[in-house]
Amino acid sequence: MRTVRFGIFIIAAAMILALALFAGPRMINPFHLSGTEREILFAIRLPRVVVAMLMGMALGASGAILQGVLRNPLADPYILGISSGASLAAALGLMSGFYFFGSLSVPVAAFIGATLVSLLVGAFGWKRGGLWPERLLLAGIGLNFLFSAVLMLLMSVSSDEGLRRAVLWMFGDLSMADWTLIPPASAFVVVGLGIAFARSKALNALILGDEFAHSLGFAVQRERLFMFAAMALMTSASVSLGGTIGFIGLLMPHIVRFLLGADSRVLIPASAVAGGAFLCLADLIGRSLMPPMELPSGTVTAVIGAPYFLYLLRRKDVLSV
Amino acid sequence: MWLTKNNMKRLFIIIVICGLFSPVFAKELASSPRRIVSLAPSTTEILFALGLGDRIAGVTSFCDYPEEARKKPKIGGMSNPSLEAVITMKPDLVVMTTDGNPKEFEARLRSLKIRTYVFTARRLAELPQGIRDMGVIVGAPEKSDSLAQEIQDGIDRYKKRNAARRTGRSATRKKVLFIIWPEPLIVAGPGTVMDDAIGLLGYENIAVSAKTSYPKYSIEEVIRQAPDVIFVGKASGMDIRDVSRKILNRLAPVPAVRNGSVFYISDNLYRLGPRVIKGIEELTACER
Repeated sequence: MRTVRFGIFIIAAAMILALALFAGPRMINPFHLSGTEREILFAIRLPRVVVAMLMGMALGASGAILQGVLRNPLADPYILGISSGASLAAALGLMSGFYFFGSLSVPVAAFIGATLVSLLVGAFGWKRGGLWPERLLLAGIGLNFLFSAVLMLLMSVSSDEGLRRAVLWMFGDLSMADWTLIPPASAFVVVGLGIAFARSKALNALILGDEFAHSLGFAVQRERLFMFAAMALMTSASVSLGGTIGFIGLLMPHIVRFLLGADSRVLIPASAVAGGAFLCLADLIGRSLMPPMELPSGTVTAVIGAPYFLYLLRRKDVLSV
Repeated sequence: MWLTKNNMKRLFIIIVICGLFSPVFAKELASSPRRIVSLAPSTTEILFALGLGDRIAGVTSFCDYPEEARKKPKIGGMSNPSLEAVITMKPDLVVMTTDGNPKEFEARLRSLKIRTYVFTARRLAELPQGIRDMGVIVGAPEKSDSLAQEIQDGIDRYKKRNAARRTGRSATRKKVLFIIWPEPLIVAGPGTVMDDAIGLLGYENIAVSAKTSYPKYSIEEVIRQAPDVIFVGKASGMDIRDVSRKILNRLAPVPAVRNGSVFYISDNLYRLGPRVIKGIEELTACER
């Protein structure tokens, strides 16, 4: 039964992907391409859909991992301050004239920021030779507030247009997606997903408690560290691809748990697939709603995601991770 | 005793005369403010162009033209000016615009009995009258009249020169895209001074169908609409050529990029003020 459901799930995701590639305010007929359309399809649509998919996958899987590691249904990769740290790093980088990488400077600065924040959260969450869920969560929330506040401070004292717009970009925008960032980002996402999937059995045990996991023969702290690293890798890659896109990390694991159950071996890959498809769909809506204007995908995900999340909440008796 | 009957009479007459003229004095004082705070870069430029630079007590942190404007005390940004900073400057007139200043700010100032003037012109065609109206309030009616006339003449000159082209079939008109910011792509849409200038010159702004003034524009759509000319506006604080390299790469199939018709221009058109005619002239660079 579950395999059938999983199959339907994959087919639905593939259909959304195809839709995102060929539909829009102007349809592209894949069997009858004009020169301009070929250009648009390969240079603009395809990288955009791939970036949306990668980001969505990274965020969905990161959410599933983090909710498990922190044993908290509210957790999502951004609650730890990774995105606000990345935005801050991008802003600081631009202010100090960090332009070594040309047009890649913003994503590179964002990636460095996201990685540094992950290490910082890890350092604050570290005590007695291991990572502790409550510590991680509280440290992340504290750092998140700090970075958001500093970012707001910079924005309000700065009259630099470029900086304002670059930060605007950090709030979820896929319109600039092109091929350059895809190879390194997909490497990070694949490695992160691989680690998470390989250790998903351990995550199942961790959710039930450290002592339980220990009694099953898992090295609790080592497993937690692996999971945290996988999450950090994927979230950092995602932030540097297209900024902060909210709600996917929180929402996808809950939807998947509702449809396919809470087993991490299914939850992690399925949350990734769902996240990828969902972001492609949100981006499709964002660019089709008011053409030729484009709405930022980050807003679209929240606007369609939040009501569905609330609906699920009503239908569920018990919230679990 | 110096207070003789005669003296009393004289004093009385003097007092009566003063009383009679006092409304005139007061009006005279009120009509030519001495300490003006300007809450927008465009009004700052107009005030300087009217020769009132030394009466400006404060400007926003965005006011960077002319050079003297940078040295004026700052009262904060356009959308978030500081009420305290404005009050400390003891202005007898605060000049604001409907294009960027919060409406509530004017209400606050008025409730504090501070005189305000709101500059409402937002389109190119409204600018000359806007300058005249403001000139009367700030006590420089002649100067504002001549500045307004100068701008009106400029507009009429281009209108006449391009009358033939503007009535021509749209297929023969140059298709233009005005990039405000390349990443993400934000362009000048309908209702902007840039759009007015493009229309005045007889070109066609491809972003005119967008629903907002500064839309985040679809790159796909730019490629489809294939503009003949691309203008890239100046940004403060960074080299716009660096930032636009990537977008121009992506727009490689567009005629403007293929034929080298990409023009980097100044910020003259960004502000509805004395520099607009210069800005329109810059756009004609694409005809050479």
